[in-house]
Amino acid sequence: MKQNTNLVLCVDDELVGLQVRKILLERSGYTVLTAPDGPSGLEIFSVEPVEVVVLDYSMPGMHGGEVAARMRQMKPQVPILLLSAYVDLLPEVTSLVNLYMTKGEGAPVLLEKLGSLLHPVDASQQ
Amino acid sequence: MNLSQFNNILRQVFLLPVVALLVVAGALYLQIRGANATVNLIQDSDTRISQATLVSKLIVDEESGLRGYETTGDLRFLQPFSEAKSHVQAEIQSLDNMGGSDPDQKKDIEDLRSEHQTWQDAFALPVIAQVRGGGNTDDVDLNLHGRELMDEVRHDLTDIIQKAESSRTRRIARWHRQVHNMLLFLLGLALGIGVLIGLFTRNRLHAVSAAYRSSLEILGRRAEELFQSEQQLRTTLDSIGDGVITCDAAGHIQMMNPIARELTGWGQADATGQPLEKVFCIVNEISREPMETPVSKVKRLDTIVGMGNHAMLIRRDGTELNVADSGAPIRDQRGETIGIVLVFRDITMERKTQDALIANEKLAVAGRLAATIAHEIHNPLDSVSNLLYLMRNGASAEESVQFMEMAQQELTRVTQISRAMLGLYRESKSPVVVDLKEMLQEILLLMERRLADTEVKVTADLPSSVTVAAFPAELRQVFTNLITNAAEAAGRNGEVRVSVTPQTAGAEGSGLKIQAGATVTIADNGPGIPEEVRPQLFQPFFTTKGEHGTGLGLWVSRGIINKHGGTISVSSDTSKAAHGTVVSVFLATNPTINAGVD
Repeated sequence: MKQNTNLVLCVDDELVGLQVRKILLERSGYTVLTAPDGPSGLEIFSVEPVEVVVLDYSMPGMHGGEVAARMRQMKPQVPILLLSAYVDLLPEVTSLVNLYMTKGEGAPVLLEKLGSLLHPVDASQQ
Repeated sequence: MNLSQFNNILRQVFLLPVVALLVVAGALYLQIRGANATVNLIQDSDTRISQATLVSKLIVDEESGLRGYETTGDLRFLQPFSEAKSHVQAEIQSLDNMGGSDPDQKKDIEDLRSEHQTWQDAFALPVIAQVRGGGNTDDVDLNLHGRELMDEVRHDLTDIIQKAESSRTRRIARWHRQVHNMLLFLLGLALGIGVLIGLFTRNRLHAVSAAYRSSLEILGRRAEELFQSEQQLRTTLDSIGDGVITCDAAGHIQMMNPIARELTGWGQADATGQPLEKVFCIVNEISREPMETPVSKVKRLDTIVGMGNHAMLIRRDGTELNVADSGAPIRDQRGETIGIVLVFRDITMERKTQDALIANEKLAVAGRLAATIAHEIHNPLDSVSNLLYLMRNGASAEESVQFMEMAQQELTRVTQISRAMLGLYRESKSPVVVDLKEMLQEILLLMERRLADTEVKVTADLPSSVTVAAFPAELRQVFTNLITNAAEAAGRNGEVRVSVTPQTAGAEGSGLKIQAGATVTIADNGPGIPEEVRPQLFQPFFTTKGEHGTGLGLWVSRGIINKHGGTISVSSDTSKAAHGTVVSVFLATNPTINAGVD
């Protein structure tokens, strides 16, 4: 499980959820950076060589859609996975990101989607 | 034409003939007086003629007496002469003294007198003296001379009589003329006055007739207008969409319009004269207790009574309708109640719609909390499922304990949220004791996410627990609604303050009794509500949120608070310095619950 060392940035205001997600991803071999809100997430995103972003949609102040838009402006090549507690997100938000999923779908789904973002060819072959 | 004008005309029509008759009488009097004067003159002439005739007779007596004496010489024959002689001058004088004689007549009389004197002195007395002396009187010349003298006397007399007669004739003719003229004049006058009276009366009567005709026209028009207006009222009453029943002062039915007949199921003929309670039988829809009809309430309170709530009308066939009704006294001009009018309408559909709207608003409140619900359930679920995954894929015992603790923490959160949500929906049949502090905390927990998303700062000032008797689900709905409104008004970075102030029972300075209870205040520092929309705040479907609002929140909230026997009031300030809105809800500790009012 140590084969992935890709740098992942997790942004979520739910601290317990963020902490658990960090442990989960680290166990799966990712290097994980966390941010509790949009602005600090953007700051880390701008300075660190982040390879993929796991972004929560619902956050006070700056929601995930806004954060994603700014990240696209800075580094459009970095894939973004948007997590949401809501079932239906607006199309203008989902069109900004590479993939999105509803919270509670489970860890395997998250890991699978994250993997497909980092290794699109492998994912398609599987 | 008014009455005094009419009386004036009557007076004129009465007085004019009287005046005219007086004028005629005056004229007649003058005419008759003139004719009388003429008659007097005629009488004068007659007297003059008879006097002249008397003188003539005396002179004849004298002459014949003288002639007898001359022939016989006997003194006895001289007797008539002597008698006539002694009178004749006096009679001539009296003839001369008569009035109405003109100078010509006077001269005639003077001539007569002197010539008679001449005859007497120059002939009669010498002849008498000669006979007495025994002389001869056969001298022809002497006698001729005497005769000439006498002829002149006779001539004068004849003149006098003739003149008097001709004067008489003239006067008679004048009298005839006068009478004729009088007749003509009277005829003319009568004709003139008659025509005058006729014309005048005609003119006046025309005025009266015109006035009468116009009065008749006005009366006719009034009657027509009255008829039209009555017809219009009747049509209006018949066409009106509400049921209308009028009763006499004793509460017996007089009239029902078609809607009233349809709603009650009673025909006009059957219902007339019946006591209202029999035809318009209403019960409380919840308690099924008979309700006081608006009519008896009007009789009791002697004022207009408003629409009652929850009245159920039992129709003649036993079916039931929700009705709203009101009654008002019918007063006569002196202000005495002579009857009562009852207006009511079928609100069955309205009630159903209202119920649907209230249910809808309840859903909308829950819908507005969907973000919180989704977030608050999905986030812990996500954590728990991740933790389970970690544990399944080989975690140390130490780690497992930590993970389970975290999972437990997250599940507790879900439970809390679920409880708060259930609270929004759990209905209770009767009021229960509710801790306002606890309830508000729960609501704020439910709304936390939503408030955080919009970056509204919420300050809760909930010093101690305050309990009131209430229906918790409904109160939750009210406070959720009010806090949502406040947060939306405050906007990004705005502030909302929620506080509870307990209130002890007592009496205000004005003597108003104050119930024990609590006031929940929800204040925001938003832009405030413009004064012009404030009166509409509690109207259904009034919203300032466009498509995002149902426009039912405050309307339903007020209904719920009213049901709880509480009050809700809004004060707002749009000024730059102190803008914001404060909503205060007072709830009594032991309220009189107005069951079914919502």
